[in-house]
Amino acid sequence: MTYLSPQISHLVAARPMSVTMGNAIRQLKLEISGSDIDLPEQDAKDALCQKIDNYIRDRIIIADQVIEETAGNKIKDGDVILTYARSSVVQKVLLGAHAEGRQFSVIVVDSRPMLEGKRLLSVLASAGIQCTYILLPALGAIITEVTLVLVGAHSIHSNGAVYSRAGTALVAMMAKLHSVPVVVCCETYKYSETVQLDSFTKNELAPQGDLFSSFPSVKARDSLTLENDEHLEILNPLYDLTPPNCITAVVTEVGVIPPNSIGSIPVALGRLL
Amino acid sequence: MASEASSSKGEFDIYQTYRKILDDEEMSPPLAAILSLSQLMVESNAGTMFELVKELHDGAEELKRHTTNPISLNAGCELFIAFVTLFPHESDSFAELKTELVKQGQKYAKEAISYRNKIAELMLDFIKDDSVILTHSYSRVVMRALLHAHKTKRISVYVTEARPRGLGVKTHEVLTAVGIPCTVVLDSAVAYVMDKVDFVLVGSEAVVESGGLINAVGSNQMAIIAKAAHKPFYALAESYKFHRLFPLSQYDLPTHNPSILSFPSLPPRPFVTPPTTSGVSPPIAKSGIDESLNVTPTSSSERSMSAEMTAKNPDVDYTRPDLISLVFSDVGILTPEAISQYLVAMFAG
Repeated sequence: MTYLSPQISHLVAARPMSVTMGNAIRQLKLEISGSDIDLPEQDAKDALCQKIDNYIRDRIIIADQVIEETAGNKIKDGDVILTYARSSVVQKVLLGAHAEGRQFSVIVVDSRPMLEGKRLLSVLASAGIQCTYILLPALGAIITEVTLVLVGAHSIHSNGAVYSRAGTALVAMMAKLHSVPVVVCCETYKYSETVQLDSFTKNELAPQGDLFSSFPSVKARDSLTLENDEHLEILNPLYDLTPPNCITAVVTEVGVIPPNSIGSIPVALGRLL
Repeated sequence: MASEASSSKGEFDIYQTYRKILDDEEMSPPLAAILSLSQLMVESNAGTMFELVKELHDGAEELKRHTTNPISLNAGCELFIAFVTLFPHESDSFAELKTELVKQGQKYAKEAISYRNKIAELMLDFIKDDSVILTHSYSRVVMRALLHAHKTKRISVYVTEARPRGLGVKTHEVLTAVGIPCTVVLDSAVAYVMDKVDFVLVGSEAVVESGGLINAVGSNQMAIIAKAAHKPFYALAESYKFHRLFPLSQYDLPTHNPSILSFPSLPPRPFVTPPTTSGVSPPIAKSGIDESLNVTPTSSSERSMSAEMTAKNPDVDYTRPDLISLVFSDVGILTPEAISQYLVAMFAG
C-alpha cells in the first residue's frame, strides 16, 4: 500500500481527487487487501491487473452499453432532445438511437469557457442527426420546443443531487418549470455515498488563460481572455449541483432510478457483485 | 411447437380461463393472470425451465392482446414470471419443480386475496372519527378500507363520477347500501369540494418504479388539487401491482398512442362571405364540416360526448411521486421513494 500513496498523490497533483477517482482507488485497495497472501508476487500482480481490467470493462464500458440501450428506449420518434455541453454517455445514447432508426432532433446547449458542446455537435452532425446549437443564455427561448432533456453527470450523491458540468443545474431547473422530463445518464461508479447540498463546498476551477487554443481551431480571441490583476480574480467553477427535485429519472446500468431513491444503488449493486 | 394458449386448437385456452376467474367479483386482473398462468403450468408439457418460461411469456402476451388496458395485468404477469425464474431449483426432477411452482402460484393467489384486508387494517389508524374522504371512481381495495373503517368510525365520502365509465356511481351505491353517507361529485367539481375534504384516498392500476401512480384518468388531477390545497393524497395498492415501468410523463405511458387527444384533420376551409342572416353558428360551410365530423346538433339542455370523442381520451393517467403522500400496501406503509427501493430489492439480480 505504501507504493500506492505517492502514485495517488501524483494523480491528485495533476487533478483534484474526484468521486470517480476515489471510488476506483478504494476498489483497488479493497482488491489488494483481499488478495491471497500465499500467492507468488507475479501471480498476485496479474490477478490485480485482471481485476482492474474487469472494473473498466464492467463498470464503465459495459455499463455505458446498458445505459445506451435503456435511455435509448426512452427516445421516441419526433422527440426534440436537449443536451448540455458534452457527455460521452449521452453522445453514445444519441448515436445508438439514431443508428436504430429513431427520428429525432437534438439541441446542443453550450457555454464558456469550455465550449465542449462544439465537439458533440460535430460528432452528431456527421452521423446525420439534425442538430441545433445554442448558447446557454438562449435556453429560455427554445425550452418550449423541447420534449426531453438528456444530460450526463460527473457524480451522483446519496441525497439524489447530481454534480455535473457548470450550467447543467440551470438547464434542469428551466426544464422542470416547463414540465420537460430531465433524464441523467450516469454509471454506478460515479455514485458517492456523501451528501452534497451546494456547489461551493467542493468544486474545481478551470485553468487560466486562453482556453480557445485547444479545440476547435479558432483564432486566439485575446480581447475576450481576461487575466488576473490586483483588482480582479477570475473564477470559472467547472461543476454545479442539480437538486434532486429537478431530476425526473437517473439511468444507470442497474436500472432507471428516481433521484430520491438513489440510495438503492448499493443494494442493486450488491446483488450483481 | 404449438402454443398452449391457442383457442382454435381446443387445447388449454388461457384467455378463457382468465375470463372465468374474473367472473368472481373479488378478483382483480393481475391476480386472475397469476392464477391463469399457474393453470397454464399445470397443463404445460414443457420439459425444461427454458421452455416453461417461454410458454409463460407466450401466455402473458396472449392475455395482453385481449385487453385495451394491460398495465395492471402486465404487473401481475411479470411478477409471476420473475418469481418462477428466481425460484430456487432444489428439486431433482423437473416435474417436481413444476408441481412446487404451481403450488406456490396458487398459494400466492390465495394469500393475495387477503392483502386487501391487511391494507384496510393499516389504513384504519389514518382515519379519524368524522373524516370526510374523497375518492375516485371504483376501487375494490378502497371499498374494503372504507367498509372496514365504517365498523368503528363515522366517515362520509365524496366520490367523483369518473366519466366516461361512471364507476363512481357504483361506489355510491355500495357505500349507501351499508349506510355510509356518500355524495357523487362531478369530475369538474373536485377543486370546488377539496377544501371540505380531510384527505384523498384512491386505488391503483399500478404503482411504478418512480414511486408514481397509474390509475383511472382523473387521479392526477385530484392529486394536483390536493397538493395545492395541502390535503394528504393516499394511494392503496396491493404489492402485486408494483410495476417496473418508469414513465417520464403522461405521454410516456404504454397506454398512450398518437390518436389520444389528437386533433381531427379537417378539410380546408372554403372562403365564405359573412352570413347575411342572424345565425348563431360560425361562418363555415356547414355541409363540409358536418359530413366529416358527423356532428348532430342536439336540442336537449344536457349534451354528452359521442363515442368517437370519448375514444380520443385516455383511460388512465400517471400521478407523479411528489404529489403522493403515502402508498398503503400489504408490505407496509411506504413513501413513494421507498417504492423504488422495494422494487430494486425484489427484482434486481
